[in-house]
Amino acid sequence: MEFEDEIFNDGLSKAYYKHNDNGQYVLEKDAPWAEKVSVALIISSRRALLEEIRKEVLAGRKSPLCYYMEMRQLDPGMLAKAAGIATFRVKRHLRPEVFARLNPSVLDRYTKALRVTLEELKTVPNG
Amino acid sequence: MTTEHTATGKPYVHYHAAHCESGVTSAFFRDKGVDISEPMVFGIGSGIFFGYLPFLKAAGMRVSTFRSQPGAIFRKVARRLDGDFVVKTYRNPQKGMDELRRVLKTGQIVGLKTNLYWLPYFSERFRFNFSGHNLIVLRETKEGFRISDPTLEHPVDCPAADLERARFARGPMESHGYMYYLKSVNPHPDLRQACIKGMIDSCNLMLRIPLPIFGIRGIRFQARKIIDSPDKLGFNEACRLLADVIRWLEDTGTGGAGFRYMYAAFLQEAAELLRSAELAGLSEEMTAIGHDWRKFSLAATRIIKQRKQFEQTFAEAGGLMHGCADREEKFFKNLRKVAGKMKV
Repeated sequence: MEFEDEIFNDGLSKAYYKHNDNGQYVLEKDAPWAEKVSVALIISSRRALLEEIRKEVLAGRKSPLCYYMEMRQLDPGMLAKAAGIATFRVKRHLRPEVFARLNPSVLDRYTKALRVTLEELKTVPNG
Repeated sequence: MTTEHTATGKPYVHYHAAHCESGVTSAFFRDKGVDISEPMVFGIGSGIFFGYLPFLKAAGMRVSTFRSQPGAIFRKVARRLDGDFVVKTYRNPQKGMDELRRVLKTGQIVGLKTNLYWLPYFSERFRFNFSGHNLIVLRETKEGFRISDPTLEHPVDCPAADLERARFARGPMESHGYMYYLKSVNPHPDLRQACIKGMIDSCNLMLRIPLPIFGIRGIRFQARKIIDSPDKLGFNEACRLLADVIRWLEDTGTGGAGFRYMYAAFLQEAAELLRSAELAGLSEEMTAIGHDWRKFSLAATRIIKQRKQFEQTFAEAGGLMHGCADREEKFFKNLRKVAGKMKV
């Protein structure tokens, strides 16, 4: 099965207006091909980016915060608002050496904003 | 179609709809006894629009919208059909949830604006960080809330914590717990005048906003951007730009071709209601414009898929979009004339 059919095979069909043979509009449930391809492109590029970040975290170039931020589809500004921490501090915390020294109260804010547990936030899934 | 009930046991019929906000508005009116279809709501609420907002990014996607701003359809329809409605936002999530529970207990169904990412009943392809999805809450259950999401076929359940999160998600276009409901409606609204008002408003929105990013001008602006994009941004980034456009055009609950088919369906209904042959002709023209948008999205998709045998280029895709702009300009000028004649 191709990737786009795979992600569209979830049983949650949307409705689309189509012209039937009598010139009347009716609702149908088949997603157009263009939608499938563009959604597949967006999802696959998002997954690839996440995988890349995971490897960089494991190599010690980025902090796990970066991974979870990307997983929740946030950018530093949005995460800053959600966690109640200044944007420049969030950007600093994306560096692994800074992140390692964070105190528990700051980490707690991140766990609430990102909805992950404290243990999860300190590492990324391996393998 | 599925039958459900509200907190006081009043029956509620769930209809499948293409677009969230017009589906929600139509469900409100049907719940109050005024049978009005989704395309009709979309037309009366002047839903059709175009805007290219490159400075606004939703989860890394540049926004080009094919509809008016979230919330406008409900407000406009409620006003034009003499509905008495309530719209509220909250700073404090706790207060917002308490108020939702209180209103639900009175047997009222409530519309909410939520963030798509945090709604647990969607699968991965739906979930992107965009605060502009409308849904209806029917009643509180033991585990959470019973929800009638018009973009899905059947009502679903959602835990309270997730719903709170979705209502109060932070980011661009924050919804701040945006909540709305219809208190009462006029049982015999003047649909004819409402349709005409909606059409004239749409024409003004498409033709007369003096900014280059809205309406017909916006379509041309974006078409020029697409033509320039491979030189300016490089092939991969240009493909991302196209994929973003296609997603807004086909995916985000538009009912196909960026709401153009839905608008044609509205004109078809309006033509019957107003007994106007001119409107029926315009409905066909709108269908043809919808086909042109579809052609554009197919061409753009071929570029992304890199199917060499079709030899599609960015210039061709942009050209198709320019063609849509020309046709829509003519269409809305005609519609303005036809609707102006019928106005009393």
